[in-house]
This record gives sequence, C-alpha cells and structure tokens, in this order.
Amino acid sequence: MLLNAVIIILREVLEAALIISVFLALSQLLNRKLGWMLVALIIGFSGAYLYAVNLSAISMAMEGTGQEVLNAVLHSVIFLSLLIFMITVPHQAHPMWRRINLVTIVLAVITAIVREGSEIILYIKGFIGIPDLLSPVLMGSAVGAGIGLSVGVFFYYLLVNMRKSHGIWLGYLILLLIGGSMVAQAVEFMIQADYIAATTPVWDSSHFISERSAVGQLLYALVGYEATPAPQQAAAYFSSILMLVVAAGISFMFRRKSS
Amino acid sequence: MKSIRLFLLLSLLATITLVNFVALLHGYQSSMEKAQSLFDSRLESTARLIASANSEQGIQQGIAEQQTPYTYFQIWDSGGKQLLTRSRNAPGFVTGELSEGFHEVNFDSYRWRNFVYRDQHLNRWIVVAERIDIRYSLAEEVVLESLLPIVIAIPVAALIIWIAVGVGLKPLRQFADQVRGKRADDLSPIHLDKVPYELIAVVSNTNALLGRLDDAFHREQRFASDAAHELRTPISVLKVHLHNLKQRLGEGDEDIALLKAGIERMGHLIEQILALYRTSPDQASARFERLDLYKLAQNVIAGDFVNFERKQQAISLEGESALVAGNRFALETLLQNLLSNANKYTPEGGEIRVSVRPHAESVELKVEDSGPGIPADQYLRVFERFYRVHGDRHDSGELGCGLGLTIVSHIVELHHGQIRLGPSSLGQGLAVTIEIPGE
Repeated sequence: MLLNAVIIILREVLEAALIISVFLALSQLLNRKLGWMLVALIIGFSGAYLYAVNLSAISMAMEGTGQEVLNAVLHSVIFLSLLIFMITVPHQAHPMWRRINLVTIVLAVITAIVREGSEIILYIKGFIGIPDLLSPVLMGSAVGAGIGLSVGVFFYYLLVNMRKSHGIWLGYLILLLIGGSMVAQAVEFMIQADYIAATTPVWDSSHFISERSAVGQLLYALVGYEATPAPQQAAAYFSSILMLVVAAGISFMFRRKSS
Repeated sequence: MKSIRLFLLLSLLATITLVNFVALLHGYQSSMEKAQSLFDSRLESTARLIASANSEQGIQQGIAEQQTPYTYFQIWDSGGKQLLTRSRNAPGFVTGELSEGFHEVNFDSYRWRNFVYRDQHLNRWIVVAERIDIRYSLAEEVVLESLLPIVIAIPVAALIIWIAVGVGLKPLRQFADQVRGKRADDLSPIHLDKVPYELIAVVSNTNALLGRLDDAFHREQRFASDAAHELRTPISVLKVHLHNLKQRLGEGDEDIALLKAGIERMGHLIEQILALYRTSPDQASARFERLDLYKLAQNVIAGDFVNFERKQQAISLEGESALVAGNRFALETLLQNLLSNANKYTPEGGEIRVSVRPHAESVELKVEDSGPGIPADQYLRVFERFYRVHGDRHDSGELGCGLGLTIVSHIVELHHGQIRLGPSSLGQGLAVTIEIPGE
C-alpha cells in the first residue's frame, strides 16, 4: 500500500512541483516579482478542494465522461498558458505583453495545482474510512510528496544558479516537454472518454522502463514518458512540442525585427 | 538566490528528504521481502506440524475446528482424490495444483499463498494457506513502525537546520548590520565579536578599504579647503590691483568691467567650493543643535536685504517659529543659496516669498520667486554639480557657477530631509520646498 501511495502522490506532486519551480525560476531570471505565487497557490488549492468535493457531480456530467473531459480541458489550459507564455516572453518591454505573460504563468500554476491537487485529495479521501490502510497511505503520501517537492527545489536552484542565459534556455526546454506531456495526457483522457478511438500502442517500452518505477515516474513528470502510448498521443506530444518551438521562434524573430 | 539562509534550509532539507526517503523505500522493500520469507517459513513449519500431529492413527476425519479466518489447511490422500480432513474455512476442492512448494491461488474472493507438503511417510498431501493481503498488512504494520521516525524526523531536521544556519550566518548578519548602520561620514573599522574563517578576508579588506577611503577623504578635504583658502589671498591682491588700475584708467573702461566680473566670479566659485565641502554629508562633522528655522531665515534675509533692495524686489517671510535639529552653518548656507538664487533670477521689481511652517513631524521651508522658473524636465538635473539651466547660454547675466542647488541638496541630505522643485504660486517662477524632520 505504501509503495502504491508513493507512486501515485509522487506522480502528481512531481508534475506540479516542476511546473511551479520552473516558473518561479524563470520569473526570477526574467526579473519578475514573486508575490503572484502566493495568490496562485491559494486559488489553486481552493480550486483543487472544490473539484474534489464536487467530483460526483462532475463525473455524472456529459453522460458520465465529465471528469475525463474536465481533466482534458485542464491539461489543455496548461498547454495554452505555456504557448502564450513563450510567445510573450520576448516582448517583456511592452507593459501589455508583460501583463499577459504574468497572467499565463499564474493561470498555468493554478491549473496545475487544481489538477494534481484534486487527484491527491481524492486519493487520500478514499482511505479515510479504512484505518488499517490510512496509515500506510498517509506515510506513502508524505514520502511521495517529500521526494517530489525535493526534486522541485533542486530544479529551482539549478535554474537560478546557472548562468542566466543557460537557466532561461533549460527552463524553456523543460516547459516544452511539459507542454508536450500536457497535450498527450489530454488526448489520453479523450481516449478514456471514448471521444477518440483507442488503437494499438505505437510502442511498448515497459520492459525497459516501467511507468510504475521511480525512474519511470521521474521521466513521466519530466518528459511525459508513456510506456505504451496510443498513436494519437505520440502524434499530439510531438506536434505540440513543435508548435511551441515554432511559436517561440517566430516571436523571437519578430522582436529582433522590431528592435 | 534571495536568501542564503533559505537556500541552505531548502537545499539541505531537500537533500536529506530525498536521500532518506529513497533509502526508506529501499528499506521498506527489503523488509517486506524479508517479512514475506519469514511468513513462508512459518507456513512451511505449520504444514510439517500438521503432518506430525495428524498421524495415521490419530487422523481426524471430517472438518477440524479452526479459529483464524485467514489461514486454512487441507489433508489429501496420495492421489489428491479424497480430502481426509480440512479446517472449517478451507475449500472442499484442490485450489491450485498439488505439487510441492509455494503457490498463489484465488479462493473466497481473496488471493492466498499456500504451501503444499508431500508427507512421504504416510503418502499424502498437506496444504496450508494464508491470505496474502493479511500477510502483507501485518508485515507493513511492523515495517511502518520502524520507518515512521524517518518521516517525522524531517520537520524536526528543518527546524534544527533553520536554527543552525541562522547561528552560522550570525557573523555575516552582524557584518551587514554594521555596514548598513554606518553614517555617511563614519569610516571607522568594522568590529565583529568572532570572525569566522570565511569572513576574515572580507572584514580585513573592508576595514583596509574604509581606512584608505578615510585617508583619501581627509586629503581631499584638506586639499580643497587649503586650495580654496590659499586662493582667497591672491584674489584679494587681484582686487587691489584692479582697484588701482581702475583709478588709473577710469571707471568707464570695458576691459576693466570684464576683469572685475571675472574676478568676482572666481571669488564666488571659491566660496561655493568651500561651502560644498563643508556641507557635504560625507565630510560634515554634523554638529547638530536646536534651531528655530524661522528665526534663522529672518537673520539671513536681514543680512542679504541690501541685494533685494538693490533690485527693488519685494521679499516677505511668512509662517511661524519652527524648531529643527540642525547644523547652524549648513542651514544658513542653505538659506543663503536659495535666497541668492531667487534674488538673481527674479527680475527687478519682482516678488520673493519665504515661508516656514511646522507640520506634525517635519518643518516645511518654501522659497518662491516670480522669476522665469525652470522647465519641469530639468528639475533633477539642476542638482548636478556645475549644471546651469541652458548651460553656457544662460541668459540671466548673473554670477553663478552651478553649485548652489548641489550644496542645498547636500545640506538637505545631511538633515535627512527632502527637497522638491515646482512651479511658484506667484504666477510664474520657481518654488523650492524643503522638508526637514522637526524637533
């Protein structure tokens, strides 16, 4: 039970911790104020709680696919926030773009906390009536959260202590991979809800790296690793990363031209 | 990195958490495996015990009483066709296969681990089974008890690291406090109770730098003061020679008038340079006393009244008595400079209004004139040394060197006050507002 709890909580916390730490580090590297984080955390956790307590109503919606559709929407919101963030970063000098850029960061962090936080609340809530299992679940959750947050802290200090330009590029790279992972997960939810037809996986790498292993979890949070992805998931993953790269590239070129 | 203390706390805590928790998971897995092998050997012993207890003579046919619901046993004949005996909760059929060793089977909605023992002596099969989930939670309960302190220790470690890092950084904090608390003119060395190895070079180099800076300031002050002072004598001599020349050549000579203006300008410049150094916050040994700014303004106006009279300017002093803690010489210089500027740049017959008003925590001194004023975009620049509005093309034709407002801002800074420039309320002209903390 403990190992299950560790894996489930680690998966959720690691993903949220990476998004938060990369945005915190980029905010510092781009000379932004960090006060927004407190607001985003409060709204995010409140949203996660509301999601968790209203789960049954959400699940019943849309002919029983409400939860999957909402999760797909939340992942898409994170992706869109990352896309707009990357487009607006090169135009920080303009107050309006700067404001939009901040809004995208706050939105991405809030959505990530709502999505991952609600999963954690739901998981732990499921064991509250079972005293025999609650103790290993709580301990496993503490261990998973501890490992996830520690990795987030390391990533944050790694980025802010690198040479500024290297830190920004590495932060960008992580955001690209997170963006790809978000779209791939959104597609996975749509497959679960039967809006997209399920087909045979493109590959099966579970023999090399199992999704349930610690390395698999870290890779999942970092690069959206899937041992058996559907063709639509793989296509969505790579095309969304390409979209982010192209959008950021065009935005940088525009800045050069205008300057 | 915003705070060294926070960085050390978070990075140390993250390291401890990561290392401890990964070790905890490893320990958990090994302990669980060990516990499973202990349960297996217990199952094996139980099977042998049942075999020896149920000898051929004493074998109990039918169903045996059994207390624990999560274990069962069966005894089968050699062919596995006939069930000789079983515990009450055991199935009446063969679960899994009758081959010696451990197997995992499904029965009664649970997963069971059974051990099949071949009793060679009596030629029969003994099956002993245990519910896997119960074995697992029993093992987990024992293992968790031993791992719980590691999880609880993390917040305790956080507290200890926070305190320890705070103690470790204390000399650095003392150093920063002393540097922050230094007055502008305080170049004395920094003293720490205990200087840690890492700070020895920082403290000694800072103190050496402060010492060199102190020497340099003294040298500069002495040089500027001595040079200005020494230049007064030749200027006085020049004035005498000029007077003699004027006697000889007559009053109307244009070159004499230009020479006179040049000498006066040089004399004014020297006096202002002396005032600048005497009132600079870096240099002024601020001897503060209780002063009435209103009375001080009255005296300065009276002293310079002849200048206002010459240009037929109307000067007025408004307000009331207002006490400040200040340096008399510096505040007199401030008033003289402000009034001299007002006098110079206000045309003949113009108006100058001085007001001194005490507020709750400060005293406001305002000097307004009806001169041409200063464009708002130049408000900040006029405080720069030697800066004059419109530069060399200054059309007032007045004697000036661009140091007056620099001196005024030094004096305001010395008194921890604030200075603002703005349009005058006299229709046109400049208003200089100064706020100095009250007594």
